[in-house]
Amino acid sequence: MKPGKNPEVQVKGWIPFKIGQPKKQIVPKTVERDFEREYGKLQQLEEQTKRLQKDMKKSTDADLAMSKSAMKISLDLLSNPLCEQDQDFLNMVTALDTAMKRMDAFNQEKVNQIQKTVIEPLKKFGSVFPSLNMAVKRREQALQDYRRLQAKVEKYEEKEKTGPVLAKLHQAREELRPVREDFEAKNKQLLDEMPRFYGSRLDYFQPSFESLIRAQVVYYSEMHKIFGDLTQQLDQPGHSDEQRERENEAKLSELRALSIVADD
Amino acid sequence: MGDPGADESTSRPGSSDEEGGSSEDRPLLHQRLAVRELLDTEVSYLHMLQLCASNIRGRLQQLPQGDLDVLFSNIDEIIQVSSRFLHGLQETASKEEEQVYLVGKLFLEFQEEFERVYKVYCASYDQALLLLETYRKEPELQQEIQSIIEAVVPQAGPSGLSFLLVIPLQRITRYPLLLQRILENTRPDASAYPVLQRAASALQDVNANINEHRMRKEVASKYTRVEPLSLRERLARINTHTLSKKTTRLSQLLKQEAGLVSRTEDKEFDDLEERFQWVSLCVTELKNNVAAYLDNLEAFLRFRPHECDLDIPGGSVEQYSNLARDLQREAFLEFKQRLESLVWRPLCSLAKALVGPQNLIKKRLDKLLDFERVEEKLLEVGSVTYEEEAARHTYQALNSLLVAELPQFNQLVMQWLGQILRTFVALQKDLAEQVLQRAEGCVAQLPHHHLSEPAFRKLVEDTLGQTGNQLHVYRENFEKVLPPPTAQPLLPGSERQVQALLSRYGPGKLYQVTSNISGTGTLDLTLPRGQIVALLQNKDTKGNSNRWLVDTGGHRGYVPAGKLQLYHVVPSEKELRGQAGPHQDSQHPTPEPPSAPVCSVPAVTQVVAVYPFAARSSHEVSLQAGQPVTVLEAQDKKGNPEWSLVEVNGQRGYVPSSFLARAPSPAPWGWTLPS
Repeated sequence: MKPGKNPEVQVKGWIPFKIGQPKKQIVPKTVERDFEREYGKLQQLEEQTKRLQKDMKKSTDADLAMSKSAMKISLDLLSNPLCEQDQDFLNMVTALDTAMKRMDAFNQEKVNQIQKTVIEPLKKFGSVFPSLNMAVKRREQALQDYRRLQAKVEKYEEKEKTGPVLAKLHQAREELRPVREDFEAKNKQLLDEMPRFYGSRLDYFQPSFESLIRAQVVYYSEMHKIFGDLTQQLDQPGHSDEQRERENEAKLSELRALSIVADD
Repeated sequence: MGDPGADESTSRPGSSDEEGGSSEDRPLLHQRLAVRELLDTEVSYLHMLQLCASNIRGRLQQLPQGDLDVLFSNIDEIIQVSSRFLHGLQETASKEEEQVYLVGKLFLEFQEEFERVYKVYCASYDQALLLLETYRKEPELQQEIQSIIEAVVPQAGPSGLSFLLVIPLQRITRYPLLLQRILENTRPDASAYPVLQRAASALQDVNANINEHRMRKEVASKYTRVEPLSLRERLARINTHTLSKKTTRLSQLLKQEAGLVSRTEDKEFDDLEERFQWVSLCVTELKNNVAAYLDNLEAFLRFRPHECDLDIPGGSVEQYSNLARDLQREAFLEFKQRLESLVWRPLCSLAKALVGPQNLIKKRLDKLLDFERVEEKLLEVGSVTYEEEAARHTYQALNSLLVAELPQFNQLVMQWLGQILRTFVALQKDLAEQVLQRAEGCVAQLPHHHLSEPAFRKLVEDTLGQTGNQLHVYRENFEKVLPPPTAQPLLPGSERQVQALLSRYGPGKLYQVTSNISGTGTLDLTLPRGQIVALLQNKDTKGNSNRWLVDTGGHRGYVPAGKLQLYHVVPSEKELRGQAGPHQDSQHPTPEPPSAPVCSVPAVTQVVAVYPFAARSSHEVSLQAGQPVTVLEAQDKKGNPEWSLVEVNGQRGYVPSSFLARAPSPAPWGWTLPS
C-alpha cells in the first residue's frame, strides 16, 4: 500500500459525486498516517532482512571458497614429484597441508554456526512478512468495501425519504455495519501488532550478532595458534616486511646473474 | 701499449749471478728482463686504466650513464686489483734471488681475483663494441669522442675508444705469455721453477675460463630472448633454410623414436632437466593457486553484510558492525596488500625467470638433433661443412651452459619458493593476530562473554528456539487478520427462508453468496449477494466441479462455486478471538485485546498482565502492561472463563482473562524475550 494519495479528500460539490466514494472521511488522517508510517518501517525492515540474509550467504560462500583455494595450494605442492626427492621440501609442504586442512575444518564449523545462528533466524524472521503483507492487503480490501458501502448509505440518506427509500436505507445501513466493524478490527489489530513485531527485532537479533562475533573469535584464535605453531616449526624468524622485500630482491638478483636467465 | 720495453741493463749491485759463466748469463739476463718488463708494463697499464676511468670517462658527459656503465664496466675494480698486484710486484723487486719465486707466488695469489674481475669486463666487452658501432654512425658524436680522447691519450690514434677499451683484455692475455717467457729462462731445478709453472698454467686457466664465460653469455643471450612474434613475423621467418633445419630435426627425431638411430643419452642432463620441469611445475601451480586465492579474497571483501543494521541501535549489532568494518578496511586490506607484494609478485618474477631456461632447453634439443645428424654424416661422408660444425659447437655450448647453471638455478628457485611459502604462513598468522586484537575490545562488552563456548552455543540454540516459536505466533496473528469468512448480512426477510433450508438440509449444507451472480444459461440462477442457498450437488451433469446445483428454497439451479461460501449459522469452533453470536462479527462488545502471542514455552512460572486495563467498576481491578499478577480464580462467579479474579498490587478484582499471559522462563540476562 503506497502512502500518498488520500482518496478521502473530496471537495463537496466541486467534483461530481462518484458512486463508491463516500463524502465523509471515514478514516481519520492521523490514523492513516500512523498506519502508513508503521507499515513503512516494516517494509524497510523486510528489505533489510532480505538483503542481510543474501549478503551473509554470499559472504560465507566466498569465505568457504577462500579456504578451499588455500587447501589447493598445499595439495598441489604435496603432489609434486619434488617431494620424493627433497626431504626438507616434503616436510615443509606436509606441515603446511596439515595446517590448511585443519583450518578448513574450523572454517566449515564457523560457517555452520553462522548458518544456524544468523542466516536461519533471518529467514524465519523474514517469513513473517508475507503474512503481514497479506493482512495489510486484506485491510485495504476491507477499507474499499467499507468505503463503497458508506457511499451507498450516504446516497440513500440524501434522497427524499419515501417508503422504499427508507427500506433501502435501512438495508444499506445493515450491510454497512459488519463491514465497518470488520475494517476497524483489522485496522486496530494491525496498528497494535505492527509496532510490536517491529520492536521484537531488537531482542530477536541480539543473540545472532553476538554469536556472529564469537564465531569469528573462535575461528581466528585457532588460526592464530595453528599458523603460529607452523611458523615456529618452519624456523621462520620474525622478519619485517622490508627485510622480506630485500630477501626477494636478493633472490631475484641471484637468479638474474645466471646466464641462462633472460634479462628482462 | 706503454713504452716499448725499456732495455735498461739493470745490473744491480750485489747480483752476483755470474757463477755459471756466460752460458748461464743470458737466460738469467732474459729472465731479469722479462721480470722487468712485467713490472714496467704493469705500471703503464695501471696508468692508462686510471686515465680512462677518470679523465676520459669523466669527460664523456654527453653519453648516458647506462652506456658508460657498459663501456667501462667494472674498470674501477680492475684498477683496484691491479694496484694491489703492482704493489706486490714492487715489493718483490728488493728481494733479488727470491724475486722470481715471489712473482710466481703472487700470480697464484691473485689468480682468483683476476678471474673474477676480468670475467665481468670481458663479458661486457662485446656489448661495448656494439655501442661503439652505433656511435660511429653519428659523425658529430664520433668527432666529440675522438677529440676528447686525443686530448688525453694522443697515442690512441684514430681507433679512439675501442683502442682504449681493449687494453684490459690485452693485459690479461699477456700475463701467461710474460710468465712463459720468465719460465723459459729459468733453470728447471731452480726452486722457483715449479711455482712459475703452476702460475703459468693458472693464468692460462684464467683465460680459458674467461673465454668460456664470455661464450656462454653470448649463446645465452642469443637464445633466451622471449620474442613475442606475430603470426606474420613467424611466417616471414620461415625460409628454405629454417624449413630444412626443421624438417631435418623432425626426421632425426623420428629416426630416434623408431630406433633407427641411437639417441645421445645424457643421464646427467636428463636428471637435471627433469628436476627443472618439476620445479617449473611447482612454480606455475603455486602462482595459479595464489591467484585464485587472491580472487576469492577480493570476492569476500566485496560483501559487506555489516552495512545492514536492521535499524537496531547499539548492542551486539553495533559491535558487530564496527568490528566487521574495521576488519575489512584495515586488517584484511593490509593482509591483501602484503600478500600481493610479498607472495604474488615474487611468484610472478619466478615464473618469468623460468622462460629463459625453458627456451635454452628447447634449443639444446634442436641443436642436439642437428648434432646427431652431423655425427652421422661424419661417419658416412667423412667430413662436414662449416655450418654443420657450428651446429655441433652450439649444441655443446648450450649443453655445457645448462649443465653448469641448471643445478644452481633449481636450487635458487627452491630456496626462494621455501621463502615465499614461509612468508605466506607468517602473513596468515599476522592476519589472525590483527583480527583477535580488534575483536578483543568487542568481546569483553558482549553480555555473555563469561560463558564458555559450548555453554554459549546451547544458550543461543535454546533462545532461538523460543523466539522462533514467537515468530510463528506473529505470523499466525497476521494470518488471522482475516477472520473466518465474514458472512454477509442476511437479506431482509430471509431469516425464515434460512430456517426452512436449515431444517430441510442441515447446517453443513448452507452456503452464502459472496457476490452477485448473474446466470447465463437456462439452468443458471441469478442471485444477489448475501442470499443463502443449500447445496444439492457439488458438480454439474458434465462433472464440472466449478458449477454447483443449489436450492434457494424457491428455485433450483446452477451457480459458480467460487461465489459461494460456507455459511455458519452457529459459531462452531473455538477461536482465539472468542467470537459469539449469530452473525460472526469480528467485534466483541467487551474489550477485546488483540490476541497475545501465546508462548508455548516450557517452565511456566509467572502470570503477567500483557495489556493495560482500566477497571470500570469496583469489581474490577486495573492492570498495567507487564505487571505480574496472581491469579486467584480463572473464571468469574458465573463460571465465565472470560474473566479472572486476580490479585495485583494488594488489590483484588476481575480482569479479562485474555489480558493475561504466562510469562516465559526468566529471560537470559541481556536478552528480554518479547512479552
